[in-house]
Amino acid sequence: METTPEPQVPPPALDLDEVTVAYGPALALENIDGMVAPGEAVALIGPNGAGKSTLIKAILGLVPLAGGRISVLGRSPAAARRDVAYVPQADTLDPEFPISVGQVVLMGRYRRIGWLRRAKAADKEAARRALEQVGLADRARHRFGTLSGGQRQRVLLARAIAAEPRLLLLDEPFNGVDAVSEQALLDAIALLKQDGAAVVVSTHDLALAHLACEEVCLLNRRQYGFGPTQATLTPDRLRATYGGHALELRGDRVIVAHS
Amino acid sequence: MYQIFIEPFRFPFMARALAELMILGALAGTVGVLILLRRLAFMTDALTHTVFPGVVIGYLLSGEGGIFWGALIAGAATAVLLTLLTRHRAVTEDAALAVLLTTFFAVGVVLVSRESGYTADLTAFLFGRILTVTPAQLTQTLAVTALVIAMMVILRRPLLARSFDPEGARASGYRIGLLDLATNTVVALVVVASVRAVGTVLVIALLIVPAAAARVVSDRLALIVPIAAVLGAFAGWAGLAVSYDASIHHGLRLASGGTVVLVLIAGHLVALAAAAVIRRRPRPVRRAA
Ligand SMILES: Nc1ncnc2c1ncn2[C@@H]1O[C@H](COP(=O)(O)OP(=O)(O)O)[C@@H](O)[C@H]1O
Ligand SMILES: [Mg+2]
Repeated sequence: METTPEPQVPPPALDLDEVTVAYGPALALENIDGMVAPGEAVALIGPNGAGKSTLIKAILGLVPLAGGRISVLGRSPAAARRDVAYVPQADTLDPEFPISVGQVVLMGRYRRIGWLRRAKAADKEAARRALEQVGLADRARHRFGTLSGGQRQRVLLARAIAAEPRLLLLDEPFNGVDAVSEQALLDAIALLKQDGAAVVVSTHDLALAHLACEEVCLLNRRQYGFGPTQATLTPDRLRATYGGHALELRGDRVIVAHS
Repeated sequence: MYQIFIEPFRFPFMARALAELMILGALAGTVGVLILLRRLAFMTDALTHTVFPGVVIGYLLSGEGGIFWGALIAGAATAVLLTLLTRHRAVTEDAALAVLLTTFFAVGVVLVSRESGYTADLTAFLFGRILTVTPAQLTQTLAVTALVIAMMVILRRPLLARSFDPEGARASGYRIGLLDLATNTVVALVVVASVRAVGTVLVIALLIVPAAAARVVSDRLALIVPIAAVLGAFAGWAGLAVSYDASIHHGLRLASGGTVVLVLIAGHLVALAAAAVIRRRPRPVRRAA
């Protein structure tokens, strides 16, 4: 006899419902709407000041909403934090900070380790594997600030991977990153998606949106499109998003030159 | 060597001074690493300014015994205020704040100047009175040390995460406001504990210099913390011994607090020189690919 209940449909990794964010009287985001399924990646695309970082912070529950609702894995952003990892831009961090690459990655385990316990073998193993996934296993003992910009970005991604997130948020991870690091970042993101994690990545680079993401969200305070990458990244929409200029098209790839 | 570094501490008052200074040196060195990581040198300086009138008022209200409590209340109030003030913007060398701090300091000076033994009192508050440390004072210092070390051990991971990457720490759910309050409180406690022994002016050196010197020597936190603590403790010992020796055997009256600071600065210079030599030596190149 069958007594177990029907398996529930898993909630979307991210559900944005008419999200509005204000800094004082100024609206930074207005009525953003969209959904991301587990295992999918969405690119946030828009010019500087469009509100990409603001949307990421809203998903993290770090800025209050002036309207609408965000649900992460079926929960409120604050309640879902344990399953969400955030990758900041590497160049916002102090390169002189006396911390090793291995210590940075282990930070991804801090919430699991707790305050007083020592890191378990499992935590160290997770950190080691994460560093391996971004191709920097041999750098664990180096000081974080001695690595190149692209490598630092990979270390921060490894920190996020070590946290075993189900939703990964990356804020402009490809800025000023060399080709080798870019490929390493793309590979690691693809692997996370295979494992069922959803990914939100803000970027200026439309080519990378094509490579890494099934969906895009075109943003410039309001939303200029949210949907499958190929269909959504049309020249018309891009022109509207970017205000009609600062845009270059090259074949089916579109590159945005920003000042 | 024995005569300079061991001999003087046969006297109980010197032994107590030694214990007090070495404990404070190690404590300030440790907390100094947190100040270094969070770049809080300016805030620390602010604390020493506001603690000074607290010390004076405590003394005027209830004598020697009031100093600790006056300092504690002023320090705690400052820690809370600075946390609120830095909540939304970085407080740096802001002119308005500088004026405010100087005002606090002036209030302290004016209050002391109403006392009869004005100069002696002022000197004691500014530079401490290490040779008159009482057993009760030593107990207080030990209690503060235990409290501060416990806080730092418990909060070591959140504090490290917050210092390195504040946005990331917030994103992973740490309460930054509470962590900053804890940090400011820890610094305030060290200032308060040091006030009677080394005074409000010299404690800033005890907090800043050992950590800075340790950072020059190493870029690994696991080494920086013990090096700073040992350096702080050693400077306390050497400074006390040298000033005692100069006073007794050479007729040269050196203030012990000042001598401690000079030993610290000398240590920092040695560290800088050592680092320069090490960097000059050619090493097998380990370059990032
Ligand atoms: N903390 C803040 N306070 C006030 N305004 C802000 C704050 N952060 C961002 N803004 C403003 O909100 C808008 C969106 O910024 P942001 O999300 O950083 O854009 P993006 O990441 O796309 O460059 C900008 O106009 C910016 O000036
Ligand atoms: Mg941004």
